[in-house]
Amino acid sequence: MPVLEVRDVTKTFQTEKSKISVLEDVSFSVDKDEFVCLVGPSGCGKSTLLRIVAGLEKADSGQILFHGQPQTSPNPRITMIFQLFGLLPWKTALDNVEIPLEVIGMKRESREEIAKSYLRMVGLEGFENTYPHDLSGGMKQRVGIARALALQPEVLLMDEPFSSLDELTAKTLRTLVMDIWRDPSLPTNTFVMVSHNVEEAVYMADRVIVMSPRPGRIIDEVKVNLPRPRAQYLRDTKYFQCVDDVVAILEKGKQ
Amino acid sequence: MIVVAYWLVMNFVQNPEISSLPYYTFRTLLRITITLGISIAWGVSFGILASTNKTASMILVPFIDLLQSVPILGYFPAVIILLISLFQGSELAIELSAILLLFTSMAWAIFFGVVGAVKGIPVNVMESAQSFGLTGSKYVRHVILPAVVPALVSGATLAWCDGWFFMIAAEYIEYAGTTYWVPGLGSFLAKAAYVYGDITLSAVLLVLITATVVYINFMTWHRLMERATAGTYKPVLKLDLSGVGQLGVIRAIGPRRWLHLGNRVHWPKSLIVASHRLRKYTRQEKAIALVMALSLVFVIVYLIAPQVSPDVIKQGFSSHPADELVNLPSYIALTMGRLGIAYIISLSAALGMGILAAEHKKFAAVFYPIYDIGQAVPILALFPVLFITLSRTFGGTIGLEITSIVMLILDMIWYMFLNIVSAIRNIPSEIREVGKLFGFKGLKRITHVIIPCILPAIVTGSILSWGTGWNTIIFSEYMPYGASTIYLDPASVNQTYVADEIAISLNVSEVNVLHTWQTQVNFNASHLQCINVSEGEFLRRAGEIKFDGGTIDNTSGSIGPINSTLLERGLGVNGSGRLAIFYFRVLRRGNSEITLSEKTKMLDSVLKIIPMSKAYSLPGLGSYLDKTGYLYGNTVLLILLLAIIATLVLLMEALVWRRLLRKFEKYHTEV
Repeated sequence: MPVLEVRDVTKTFQTEKSKISVLEDVSFSVDKDEFVCLVGPSGCGKSTLLRIVAGLEKADSGQILFHGQPQTSPNPRITMIFQLFGLLPWKTALDNVEIPLEVIGMKRESREEIAKSYLRMVGLEGFENTYPHDLSGGMKQRVGIARALALQPEVLLMDEPFSSLDELTAKTLRTLVMDIWRDPSLPTNTFVMVSHNVEEAVYMADRVIVMSPRPGRIIDEVKVNLPRPRAQYLRDTKYFQCVDDVVAILEKGKQ
Repeated sequence: MIVVAYWLVMNFVQNPEISSLPYYTFRTLLRITITLGISIAWGVSFGILASTNKTASMILVPFIDLLQSVPILGYFPAVIILLISLFQGSELAIELSAILLLFTSMAWAIFFGVVGAVKGIPVNVMESAQSFGLTGSKYVRHVILPAVVPALVSGATLAWCDGWFFMIAAEYIEYAGTTYWVPGLGSFLAKAAYVYGDITLSAVLLVLITATVVYINFMTWHRLMERATAGTYKPVLKLDLSGVGQLGVIRAIGPRRWLHLGNRVHWPKSLIVASHRLRKYTRQEKAIALVMALSLVFVIVYLIAPQVSPDVIKQGFSSHPADELVNLPSYIALTMGRLGIAYIISLSAALGMGILAAEHKKFAAVFYPIYDIGQAVPILALFPVLFITLSRTFGGTIGLEITSIVMLILDMIWYMFLNIVSAIRNIPSEIREVGKLFGFKGLKRITHVIIPCILPAIVTGSILSWGTGWNTIIFSEYMPYGASTIYLDPASVNQTYVADEIAISLNVSEVNVLHTWQTQVNFNASHLQCINVSEGEFLRRAGEIKFDGGTIDNTSGSIGPINSTLLERGLGVNGSGRLAIFYFRVLRRGNSEITLSEKTKMLDSVLKIIPMSKAYSLPGLGSYLDKTGYLYGNTVLLILLLAIIATLVLLMEALVWRRLLRKFEKYHTEV
């Protein structure tokens, strides 16, 4: 059974004057240990789709199934990292990681210990008491990752997690995310990422799902069969072939 | 609708002046419009100058900031003294002072709006305009003016509302015991309340004024605003609250056209001014502000000093009401206490209402219309109505105390509400989502997500609230009745030391041809002991008098009956002054009131009873300032008090608000 299943999701937004159809009959599923990437032109509703999966928005029709159970509200076993990090600016890095643990009712000592260990894992040892405004963009996203992982979720959703970072930082963080995904000691092993960067998607994902412009529909998907770790294949024709395939589907979707 | 309302009021309310109602409305409208015109002309020209010319900016902005730090109503006595002495009390002088007072309340919003708009022109627009050869007047016409228009409209809306707010204070001018009525709605309302004591008429007028304000806002400003905000660079002017009203009245009442009151709520009390007040000063600006403040003091001293010898200053400090200077610390504490109580109540109420309104559409449908109407009520105009109603149930002093605090709350709460609602609605969506994703609910959501997020807005709202609160308290601690008044000063004794001797004077204000008076004084015999009664100098102005101090009864605590009369028939004294002085010894520490009995009576030269009303005043900085300026016209003391208030305001800003803001702002720069 797939870990996550999206079934016939449709969503429209009501504005003052008109209805905007954002998603139309979107269905796909994600298996255990899979890394899936959603790509599409801007405004195609891929972020909205991710939010529906996270339980932050409600679909007009359709279902989200998690291990076969319908999901309608946020679930600590599915967490998310955000494009603009979504850190609480009035909390230190440590507090930011601790807060979700506090909400699920964990005791102070144990949650502090867990939060510290995850901050260490993302390479922020020594920055526990720093406020977000004193951290660089990359460090903020590291806090965001630590916060999401601290809940020990099964599924990690990522909404364009690297697009507000500079390329060098993004590259380092991509590697970090890949390492986390492949780390067998962590329970988090099913990843869904939204991106508009085709190279990034092909580099990271097992499967790239391509969406059409608004209203967003799934046009096609591309399986990426490159061996991992992929850094050495970045100049390989197979890699470029994959990228070209995705771009071709995107272009086709525009017409 | 408004016309029908006027017709109804004019036909069914009985009052000798009611037929002049349209005329009064016209005069007030004209006055506010003229002042608005002047304010716009001044604001635009100086605003553009200050925002394009560096030197001008360095001089103008700190100067205006300085002027602005004093509560506007604090200027009133000073401006009046200046103008009345210049024009010798002619009608033009009164009209001019009213306009000047309105101007001081209207001009800032426009000025800062314009400065903000010009500074907000994005660099890329400026550069591209210059690269295409738009310079000089062309640049002003094609780039600056279009950018200024929205700010101008919103600034003018603000100014317009401010104008109505201060209208009643500006049209009803008291100076050194004389009242000048500037014909208009505000003065009519004041007269209805103070002179005629007609509560129905005052209430009707209040509703009428509010309706007129709301109607005009809706007909002109809201429409202009809609057109003007179409092409702004930044949506700051709208405060990102567009669509607020959509949830409001419409949903609540249904789409009937004439009820679209809340449809386009524009939040006239905007943050433009506040954001400018709180921007960081550069070192140069600080230095210039300091130099200017010092030179201002120097110029004042230099101008006044040669004319007024040290004697005048000495006299200022020795004449009334300088004897109350010892109470200054307690006055400051009392006034701050009132402001503090009102602030805490407003903050908590606004927080509750704001969170509910921003988070739940149902509450929004209730609170937005309340806000819309609530902020349109000219609070100062509410004062007489509220006071008369409350004083009937609670008596004068307590009634005034409640009135004062209620007015402060009504005044402060909308600034807080506006700031809180707009801040909640502007919480970044990511933060909201994080809250939701990690399961914050109910109280935890409020304490962990919402409140920390809106703290800077709460501080901004607090600054605005305190600013407007200072204005209101200057007005509301003192209840001057228009007709002649006989009163004890001070009316209560709060003495720390036993065996102290204190003097209490019996004063009269604004009396016409006073010939004879009589009264009886009651006091608490366990606290005070009367030693002596002596005559005041007022009645002697017209000739020889007979004075009878009555009998002093120190067991039951009464003095009287006290009589005084001019020996010669047909004479009388006009104006204000002291009728008698009572000397008391303090027997016990504590607060003790001294009252005039109901038998108090004044007769004029043909022995007809002079109608009397009482003045109530709450011990506090505001009432002290009012008394100093309006009742005694003591310029020296007035300047001192104004300086004290300005210092308090600036100290509070520097020590509390700026610090808080800086602390919170650190965590709120883009994350």
